[in-house]
Amino acid sequence: MDDEWTLVEEGDAAPGLIASLDAWRQNPEGAGVWVEGDTAAEEIGPLVAAAPVVAVRFPAIVDGRGLSLGALLRSRYGFEGELRAFGDIIPDITEYMHRCGFNAFVLPDREQAEVAIACMGRMSDHYQASVRQPKPPFQEPTTRRP
Amino acid sequence: MYQYSAFDQRFVEERVEQYRDQTRRYLAGELTDDQFLQLRLRNGLYIQRLAPMLRIAVPYGLLTAAQLRALAEITRTYDKGYAHLSTRQNVQINWPELRVVPDILADLAAVQMHCIQTSGSCIRNITTDQFAGVAADEIVDPRPYCELMRQWSTYHPEFDWLPRKFKIAVNAAQADRAAIHVHDIGINIRAGDDGRPRFDFLVGGGLGRTPVIGSLIREGLPEQHLLTYLEAILRVYNRYGRRDNKYKARIKILVRAMTPEKFRAQVDAEWEHLRGGPSTVPEEEIERIKACFVPHPYEDLADETHLLARQRLADPAFNAWMRNNVAPHNRPGYAIVTLSTKATGVPPGDVTEEQMDAVADFAERFGFGEIRISHEQNFILPDVPQKHLLAVYELACDQALGQANAGLLTDMICCPGGDFCSLANAKSIPIAEAIQRRFDDYDYLHDLGPLDVNISGCMNACGHHHVGHIGILGVDKRGDEFYQISIGGNQAEDASLGRILGPSFKRADVPDVIDRILAVYVDNRLDGEPFLHTVRRIGIEPFKTHVYGVAQPPALRRAG
Repeated sequence: MDDEWTLVEEGDAAPGLIASLDAWRQNPEGAGVWVEGDTAAEEIGPLVAAAPVVAVRFPAIVDGRGLSLGALLRSRYGFEGELRAFGDIIPDITEYMHRCGFNAFVLPDREQAEVAIACMGRMSDHYQASVRQPKPPFQEPTTRRP
Repeated sequence: MYQYSAFDQRFVEERVEQYRDQTRRYLAGELTDDQFLQLRLRNGLYIQRLAPMLRIAVPYGLLTAAQLRALAEITRTYDKGYAHLSTRQNVQINWPELRVVPDILADLAAVQMHCIQTSGSCIRNITTDQFAGVAADEIVDPRPYCELMRQWSTYHPEFDWLPRKFKIAVNAAQADRAAIHVHDIGINIRAGDDGRPRFDFLVGGGLGRTPVIGSLIREGLPEQHLLTYLEAILRVYNRYGRRDNKYKARIKILVRAMTPEKFRAQVDAEWEHLRGGPSTVPEEEIERIKACFVPHPYEDLADETHLLARQRLADPAFNAWMRNNVAPHNRPGYAIVTLSTKATGVPPGDVTEEQMDAVADFAERFGFGEIRISHEQNFILPDVPQKHLLAVYELACDQALGQANAGLLTDMICCPGGDFCSLANAKSIPIAEAIQRRFDDYDYLHDLGPLDVNISGCMNACGHHHVGHIGILGVDKRGDEFYQISIGGNQAEDASLGRILGPSFKRADVPDVIDRILAVYVDNRLDGEPFLHTVRRIGIEPFKTHVYGVAQPPALRRAG
C-alpha cells in the first residue's frame, strides 16, 4: 500500500521521514520517530505527543514488549497520532497490536495486508478492556455482557 | 459447574475457525514452521518425539460427565483410545494428526471446551484445589474467582506474548492442595474481618531449573481489585522479564534479580495507575459469575457412620480405600472420592476411553454429573452419598480405578518422560512402574503413611520433583540415563524444596535406593511421625549415610 512515510534506521530527521529517537529529538518538526519495543514509555511518552507517527519495532513474533509500550503510549500518555508496528510481523499478530492501540502495520505485501485485515475482524468480542475497548464487557450495557 | 454464556460459546467457536484458517494457511505454505509454531502452541498443539500432542484445557480441573464422554469419544475418533491427565489438571492426547486438530477443537467447543493457552509463553490454565466448593476445610469457594481470571487472561491483548509461560494457582482452604508456593503467581484467598474475601499474592515461585518458593508481595487485597492488580504484575513482567535466555525468563528470575521488595514497589507503582480503573470488578459481576456455577440439588442426608463402620470392618481393602481415598465433604451424608489412576504397570495419569466413560457414569449415578481432575493426576468424584461409597469402590475396582493409594508412595506424580517428550533426558514412566512393583504391599504402604514421590524426566520439572517428599530427576550422563534423588520437598502450605542426596543412580538401582531411604525413616520415626517430618527433624545426613554407606552393596554403584 502507498506509504507517505519513509523509515530511516540511521540519519537525520526531516518531514516525511521516520527517524531514530536521537535524530528525531534533534529535529522533530514534521518527522516521525521509531523506537525499539523495549523503550521505556516513561521516557518517550511525555515527548511524542506532537509526533505524527511513532513506529515501534517488534524484533520477533514472540516479543510482546511493544504491546505494552503501545498500550501505555495510548492510555497513559494520550498519544493520538499514527502508531505503527514494524519488524517481524505476521498477519495473525496484528490483532493483538490493534487492540493495544496500533493503527498501522508494515507487512511484506498486499496479500499479507488483506489477511491481516481478515485476522483483525475474526473475533467479535473480547473479555478484557483494551485501547480499542476501554471498558471490559462487564462494564458495558447488558446486551454486550459476557 | 460453570455454564457457558452465549458470549463464551461464540468466543470458543470463533477461535476454532481462526485456528482452522491458520492450519489451512500453514498447510498451503503461507506460514512457515516457526510462524505456525507460535500459533499452534496457543491452541495447545506440540510436536512431540513421536507425534503431535494436544493439551486440552480443563479450567481449574472441573468437568461434566458429558465433557468427559466427549473426551473419550475424541480419543476413539482421533487418537488411540486413551488420554493423559496432566499435573495442571488438563487432559492430553498424544497422537492427533495436525490436519484434524481444527475438527477436534470444534468437537470440544460443542461441549464448552477448548485448548486456548494450554501451551506457549502466555497465561496458562489457572489451577486450584481439586476439592473446591465441597472441601470441609474450605474458607471461600475459589471457583468464581478462577473463572473471573480465566476470562480476563483469555486472549489478553497485551499478555499473550510474555517472556515465558505463566502459571497461576489459587488456594482457598486451610490445607493448600494447589501448590501455590511454587507458581508464578500463587493466590491465597481467605475471609476478611468484614466477611468478604481477601487475596494474598505470592509471586515468583516455581520449579524447573531454578526452584524457588514464591515471595509474598501483597496481603489482603479486596476482590474488586483482583484484575487490576494482576494486570500490574503482568505488565511489569512483560516489560522487564528477561527474553535473552529461556532458562532465565520466568518471573521468578526477575523477582530475584530485582529483590521481592523492589519488585513489589514496581508493581505498586504500576497499580496506582490502574487501581479503580475500568477493570475494577463490580460486585454484580462477581455475583453474575457465581450464578453461572449452577448449584447442585443436594439432599438433606445424615452421616452414615454406623453403616460405613460395618462395611469397613467387613472388608479391609475397602477400609484402606476409605482411609486414603475418601475426604470429608462440607455437607453431611456426602463424601469426596479420589479415583486413583496409579495402578501398577499403567503410566501415572493415563486413562482409557472405557475408564473415562465409566467415570462419567459414576459421576451421574453417584453425584451431580461432575468430575474433577487433580494435579496429582487422579479423578475426583466430588459428591458421593456416603451410603453409596461401597458401590463406588467396587465399580471403581472393576475399572482399575480402585487403588487405595491416594497420597501414598505409589500415588506418584510423573511426567510423560523420555517415552514421549522430546525435552526429556530420561524415561520416567518405567521408574514409576519399577517403584510400584517393588512396593506392592498395601500394609507396608499404609504403615509408611503420606508420601509424595514425584518424578521428572528432565530439569524442566513437569513431574514436580523438587516438591516431592522424595523427588526423582532423570539426568543424562554421556548418553546414559541416570536418576538424581532428593528428599524433604513439600508442595503444601508449609512448602519446601527437596535436598539432593548425592550422586545419581542407574535406573535399575532406584527401587533399592528408595527402599534404603524408607528404612532410615522407619528406624528413626517417632510415634505417628510422617516421612517429611522425620526428614526435617533428623536432616538428610542419616539418609545419605545409609544410601551411600561404606558397606555399599554392588547394586548401589555410584554413577559418578
